[in-house]
Amino acid sequence: MDLRAGDSWGMLACLCTVLWHLPAVPALNRTGDPGPGPSIQKTYDLTRYLEHQLRSLAGTYLNYLGPPFNEPDFNPPRLGAESLPRATVNLEVWRSLNDKLRLTQNYEAYSHLLCYLRGLNRQAATAELRRSLAHFCTSLQGLLGSIAGVMAALGYPLPQPLPGTEPAWAPGPAHSDFLQKMDDFWLLKELQTWLWRSAKDFNRLKKKIQPPAAAVTLRLEAHGF
Amino acid sequence: MAFSVVLQKAFLLALLSLRAYQNEVFDEPIQLVPEVQNVSTSSKPQQVNLQWTVPNLAHHQELKMMLQIEISRIKTSNVIQVVNYTTTVKWNQVMHWNWKPDIPLECVKYFLRIRGMVDDDKFLLQSSWSNWSSWQEAHIPVSLEPNTVLVFPEDPLVEEGSNITICSVYGRNQHNVSCYLQEKPIPGEQLDSHVSIFNLNNVVFFRDTGTNFFCNSIDTKLEDGIVLFVSKVLEEPKNFSCETQDFKTLNCIWEPGVDTALAWKQQPPQNYTLFESFSGRRKLCNKSSCDWQITDDSQEIYNFTLIAKNYLRTRSVSVSFHLTHRVYLKAPHNVSLEIINTTKAHMTWKVHSRGNDYTLLCQIELLCEKEVIHEHNVSVHMSGDYLFNDLDPDTEYKASVRCADATHFWKWSNWAEKTFSTPEAAPSEALDVWRIVRSKNGSRIVTLFWKPLSKSRANGKILFYNIVAENQDKPAKSKHCSIPAPASDTQLTLDQSSYKLHITANNSVGMSPETILVLSRESGNQEVVEKRINGTKDGFLISWEPRSRDVISYIVDWCAHSQNQLCDLQWKNLGPNTTSTIISSDAFKPGVRYNFRIFEIPVQGPVYLVEKQTGYTQELAPLESPEVLTSNLTSHSFTLSWQGYASQFQAGFIQGYRVYLKSKEMHCHSGWDKVLLSDNSVCCNYDIKDPKQKIFTVENLRPESDYEFSVRSYTSVGENQNATFMMVTTPDEHSHMLLKTMLPMSLCVLLIMVVCYWKSQWVKETCYPDIPNPSKSSILSPIKYMQNPHLTIMNVKDCIPDVLEVINKAEGTKTLYTGAGKLHAENVTKLPPVPTEKDSCGPVPCIFFENFTYDQLAFDSDSHGHVPGPLKDILCQLGPLTPPKNLLNVLGNSNMKSLTGSPTEETSLIYVSQLASPTCGDKDSLTTNLPRPVHCSEYKMQMAVPPSLASPALSKNSDLSSMILLGKGEPG
Repeated sequence: MDLRAGDSWGMLACLCTVLWHLPAVPALNRTGDPGPGPSIQKTYDLTRYLEHQLRSLAGTYLNYLGPPFNEPDFNPPRLGAESLPRATVNLEVWRSLNDKLRLTQNYEAYSHLLCYLRGLNRQAATAELRRSLAHFCTSLQGLLGSIAGVMAALGYPLPQPLPGTEPAWAPGPAHSDFLQKMDDFWLLKELQTWLWRSAKDFNRLKKKIQPPAAAVTLRLEAHGF
Repeated sequence: MAFSVVLQKAFLLALLSLRAYQNEVFDEPIQLVPEVQNVSTSSKPQQVNLQWTVPNLAHHQELKMMLQIEISRIKTSNVIQVVNYTTTVKWNQVMHWNWKPDIPLECVKYFLRIRGMVDDDKFLLQSSWSNWSSWQEAHIPVSLEPNTVLVFPEDPLVEEGSNITICSVYGRNQHNVSCYLQEKPIPGEQLDSHVSIFNLNNVVFFRDTGTNFFCNSIDTKLEDGIVLFVSKVLEEPKNFSCETQDFKTLNCIWEPGVDTALAWKQQPPQNYTLFESFSGRRKLCNKSSCDWQITDDSQEIYNFTLIAKNYLRTRSVSVSFHLTHRVYLKAPHNVSLEIINTTKAHMTWKVHSRGNDYTLLCQIELLCEKEVIHEHNVSVHMSGDYLFNDLDPDTEYKASVRCADATHFWKWSNWAEKTFSTPEAAPSEALDVWRIVRSKNGSRIVTLFWKPLSKSRANGKILFYNIVAENQDKPAKSKHCSIPAPASDTQLTLDQSSYKLHITANNSVGMSPETILVLSRESGNQEVVEKRINGTKDGFLISWEPRSRDVISYIVDWCAHSQNQLCDLQWKNLGPNTTSTIISSDAFKPGVRYNFRIFEIPVQGPVYLVEKQTGYTQELAPLESPEVLTSNLTSHSFTLSWQGYASQFQAGFIQGYRVYLKSKEMHCHSGWDKVLLSDNSVCCNYDIKDPKQKIFTVENLRPESDYEFSVRSYTSVGENQNATFMMVTTPDEHSHMLLKTMLPMSLCVLLIMVVCYWKSQWVKETCYPDIPNPSKSSILSPIKYMQNPHLTIMNVKDCIPDVLEVINKAEGTKTLYTGAGKLHAENVTKLPPVPTEKDSCGPVPCIFFENFTYDQLAFDSDSHGHVPGPLKDILCQLGPLTPPKNLLNVLGNSNMKSLTGSPTEETSLIYVSQLASPTCGDKDSLTTNLPRPVHCSEYKMQMAVPPSLASPALSKNSDLSSMILLGKGEPG
């Protein structure tokens, strides 16, 4: 391969062009606003951490409820837990969710779940269990704050709780202790599903917000290479 | 009173008569029929409440009535229970009656009816049961879907050990329902087509969150469940008691027992209430104690009832007491101690008393090193005091005091403590001192040992020991020394005078009573016979014969380590009337000899050695075998000796020695026994029974035979096992004769041979010369030869190698070797150069060495006119000859010295035997390389060649013979 004089001038011109446009490459621009990427990553990490934390807490709490609630294949009907936000959703529906809706659903779900969880904490009989639940509530509060941060970074407003729809932990007189135990079971189960779903949500969001490295190449190519 | 009762009865009778009259008028009998007002049910707790009245009662009338309630289940004809009870009914009052159904109200219908009968003395007419009220239904309806299953009662609370019936109701589409308590399936009893009941007997407590009871439909789908809350049985409070410390508050305590609380507020922890019956006051307490304020000072007697209660049960326990009988005083205060002297201290304290009218009992304890050494009780009112006597000086004590009500003892108060120390006092006991006396260079070395005073005798910290050696003969020569503590021995060097030693121990306050030891001129180490004793594991029993009556004490001493240099002297001081003692020590070891000496300390006079005793706690077989030396070895005997064997340091008393002898013949002579050794070898054994005999001659041996012997010592336990056999070989019977004759003969022959060899040249020259000259045989003139020793050596440096002149003058040769043997030029016959190859032979190509013997003869014969060929050794340097390696090395290292160097450099001479010259030995090879034949002499004179000859210059220019000889590297 032989290079002519014209080629060297061309290469120099290319290099200058690249250097001129280098500050415009978002991935390399560290001086500006980092965007929602880091906070999405942090939120994702927090969901994974909470998943791990909940695994331990749920084991302890279900043992506290006694059999059959602590049996691995126990799957009671969702009798009194209808008010709990459902994490399960049709895959197509989930895929078609836009970012705002996705984040809003997460925020609303954890707002409700946190409220229920605080009620659970108040009812717990042992001090050790109360300590564990309080710790988890604090962590969950942190997750809620993270989601709110991501939404704010993306410019989405926080959902306002409708008056009268504030969930309350009030087992009425007709609510038997057995049903209450079932509700507790479902609360923990739904929380686990939500954390799993949130990890998927934020992973998807992360990929969407942070373009892969290949995008840099495309951008450079677009500038005349 | 009786009148009024009669009047009341008359009034009632009149009233009822009036009613009867009215009924007759209306043709209806008068009956007090209870009328059910309402039947209410509750699900939690399961209960039926029956409200009823007696409508026919007169205005403000009260009657005592007996009621009968009939309860049917499912249908009215199925009566399951009839309950009778009595109550007082009032006019216009709704009565209540509660009933707990056994099967939950949601699962079955109950029917109740009631009837009554007047059971009142005021009612004079004969009473009978009224008619039944109408049946009343008791049931809790549930809305049941065709596919649902419901379980009842809802979250029941029961006590552990009780029974409960649980029921399940299922819709018409549910047929096969299984129910479980936790994970255990519970068999149900079909009550009707859609109701099953489950009887749980003697329920147990699992957890405070309850036991889950649930039912699954046929497809194992959970349908419904309940939580059965099982409470632990409330226990009666134990050890309930009340007491006061200040007459203001009564503190009541108890042991509460198990906590019966359940989760989710199903049952809070049991509560405790204190009720005082005289005052009627009540107070809610915490779990295990309660403070009751004494509000009325005049109340002296209290009757408390402690009530424990939870949802299921109430327990109570009572206690009644007089306040002054439950006084638990506070600990005494203001405790102080005044140290009076070294043995006395005065303690004072104050008590929390209600006044001088109350007598308190106080207990005083004195502790020393955590042990109670003194205990005393005193009665006090407001304050107390106590004097401690007989205290030890320089000791720390702890004084404690506690008090209680003396009249009605309830409980001791807590201890009030005070620590104090007594001051030091002079040591109270004389030191136990003993000594060892040794003589050395005319003086006595006295080593004094003493036992440190015990703490109780030292009365303080011993600072030093004072020793005064009072010379009895010359008081001016007394010695004084002070040994600082904690030494326990010292050494004094005293002369041979009599001494009185005064030893005291001193602390900061004073000195101990002195111990006096008298050292007379006689050291006290009289020679006495040593007696053997047998010890046991527990020690040695030492007994002795008393020598005199005027004895202060006896002392038995011994060394704790008898085999070591360090004796570690031990002694035991015994009273004057003692004649035996047991010496025991943990330091005694089996197999160690202990020597005991018994001394008598007389009232006057020196210490006297009474007895010496020696023994072992346990004898062992000797551990050490004798080191045997052999001597006097003859063909028939040898002597063994082991004089150095220290029998006194063996592991037991040596009783003798056994000599073992092994030989091939295995024939044992008389006095020897044939024994089988542990290694199954057979040998002869001789037993020497005298332990003092340490020499033994083995006799009757065979000449030229191998013997193995071993000497083993033995004690009463056995012989030492680690002795080894040594080998000895007896010599030949005639060998000594042979030695006596052959040795001188051999020496003589050797001497002759040496002389012959030394003089062989002379002999040969004299007797067998190569060229015999009978007329000039030098054997006839040996003296002449001896006068000129230098004639044997020719100086090489004086040689003129290129030209050899032969002078015919006979007298000229006589001056050839004069002085240092230098060759004068004028005496040398110049010969034409020896024809040699130009390259191989330089300017000094050849050197010839003259055979002195021959020359001398030649000179003597005056026939020097020609030089006969064979008489000259001409050695030529061989040019192409390569020096051997070692030669080159030598050459490299040797100094380059010219041939003109002094031949008398003895320090670096190399003696070369010319006879050994390869030039001569390998004549043919040389001749092949030589340009012309060279004749070598048959023998040559020994000559000295300085190492400088072996120089590179020499390798080029000097003679070949020198090179080759050096190359052999084996000079002289």
